[in-house]
Amino acid sequence: MRRFSSGAAFLIAWAAAAPLAHGQKATERYVPLGQSPGASGKLASIGEIAEADARERTLTITEPAGRRTLKITEKTKIYLDRSKLKQTNLTGSFADLQKGRRVEVKYEDAALKQVADWIKVEITQP
Amino acid sequence: MPCNPNSTKPDRPTQWRTATAFVAIAWPLGACQAQAPPPDPQAALIAKGRRIFFNETFAGNGRTCGTCHPEQNNFTIDPAFIATLPKGDPLFVAEFNPALKQNFENPRLMREFGLILENLDSFDDLANTFTMRGVPHVIALQTSVDSPQGPRTGWSGDGAPADGSLRAFATGAVIQHFTKTLKRVAGADFRLPTDAELDALEAFQRSLGRQRDLELPLPLRGTVAKRGQEIFLDDTLGKCNICHRNAGANATLGGQDVGNANFNTGVEDLPDQPADLTGEKVPPDDGLGAPGDGTFNTPPLVEAADTGPFFHNNAVSTVETAVGFYDGEAFNNSPAGRFLASIDPNGAGIELDGTQIAALAAFLRVINALENIRQSIELLTQGQALGLREHARGRELLRRAASETRDGMAVLVGGGLHPEAVAQLNESSRLIKRAAKTLFSRRRLTREAIGAQQRARAQLIGEQS
Repeated sequence: MRRFSSGAAFLIAWAAAAPLAHGQKATERYVPLGQSPGASGKLASIGEIAEADARERTLTITEPAGRRTLKITEKTKIYLDRSKLKQTNLTGSFADLQKGRRVEVKYEDAALKQVADWIKVEITQP
Repeated sequence: MPCNPNSTKPDRPTQWRTATAFVAIAWPLGACQAQAPPPDPQAALIAKGRRIFFNETFAGNGRTCGTCHPEQNNFTIDPAFIATLPKGDPLFVAEFNPALKQNFENPRLMREFGLILENLDSFDDLANTFTMRGVPHVIALQTSVDSPQGPRTGWSGDGAPADGSLRAFATGAVIQHFTKTLKRVAGADFRLPTDAELDALEAFQRSLGRQRDLELPLPLRGTVAKRGQEIFLDDTLGKCNICHRNAGANATLGGQDVGNANFNTGVEDLPDQPADLTGEKVPPDDGLGAPGDGTFNTPPLVEAADTGPFFHNNAVSTVETAVGFYDGEAFNNSPAGRFLASIDPNGAGIELDGTQIAALAAFLRVINALENIRQSIELLTQGQALGLREHARGRELLRRAASETRDGMAVLVGGGLHPEAVAQLNESSRLIKRAAKTLFSRRRLTREAIGAQQRARAQLIGEQS
């Protein structure tokens, strides 16, 4: 019985408590800024890059509600949204987070808004 | 009493004669409806979702959701169904669209094993980063897509972009499968579904099939299927009910309901997997997440017998082989298998003999047939309620009922089960065909077809309390 309890506890923790990553994040790359169903405007917000700190791996954006600084981790995906140019969207890097660019940020925790899950950078010039 | 009192206004003799003539014809047929039913917004949304699912290409390569999830094949594809499609079917777009010839699909694996290509982890290296997966059916999603941890879609439970919901799933599917070119530019290679379309698609998909789980045990009549049910529910023998509670897609672990969950059952470790035997490039599939954790989502079992091949990679084709997998080394050496062994008094995983595997499969075949019968009766009953002017809709319902009936027969015949029930289903099928061809006897024939379905059901199961 004790063995059952500990084994079950392990499996419950593994099956139930594991964070639900979204594998089709990959298709997210091709969704233009502001058009992610159920995420844009709810789990994600749009703003303009005010500052990108490569050493601290932080990004400060200006949103309608004010300035917000968020953390960028190894897991954060950065996409270059070139759909306005009718060009394919690309995977970007921290270097693409340039001041003045319009971005959409989805947070790992939409309530805390501290860590970026993905960032879409709008590219409007070739 | 005519249907519409206004039609008998004495100052309109022509209308009166027309209305009288209509009533004279319609009354004996029972088509006279006292009052049109109030509009049902949810039914309208589902109907809209159905139209989008089967007709909307989203300005892409010609595919619709129904291309890979055809209703006439239980919303999935398999090699036998694929073999019936014409060369120009959009499923084969990689064979005739030069822009999609490379790295969009593998036509050989599609035709031979029903596998489609998915770039789950990344689109950065199309030649090497992909998986080959079967097409999961979308039946009974209402019972399986929600979990306490969030929505679970697709084979690894993480099939949707954005918020990960079933609603958002269509957006990812359009990008992955509907594109005209591999550039995948929204507005050029496809258009994204609108919010209204996503709402309708979700409503339609949630409406398909069972809306709730069974409550086992069922009072089954068949000796072998009844034993199969006992094994299924025995947590020391079949152990199936632990992860597939009531033959659905939800798990109960340590007495706790954990909903629809992911497990690593070792399917990827099976030797001699069909796709691998071809020599085609088939990268390992790491399941949930990017990189993945090796786990895959639990599908419901009630609909299993008529929706093979089985597992995320279509590794096996029959329900008997799928059950047999759990008796093998790949499963028993997997994390899920080792867990089951860890809670077994004798340290055993799942150990079944041939007769027990056959019994479990018989049980799965019978509950699948019961679901086919339930749906057939539901569709036939809906058809009976239609008025004379809804003949086209009536024929559509009959067509779907005929399809369910055929499936019910096939799953029973495939296991050599319940020949008397098969005979009744055959009779029902004959009556449905006749009903579809006639206008005046449609109701009577439909009623008789329902009777035959009920007799078939009574062969499979006793009265439920």
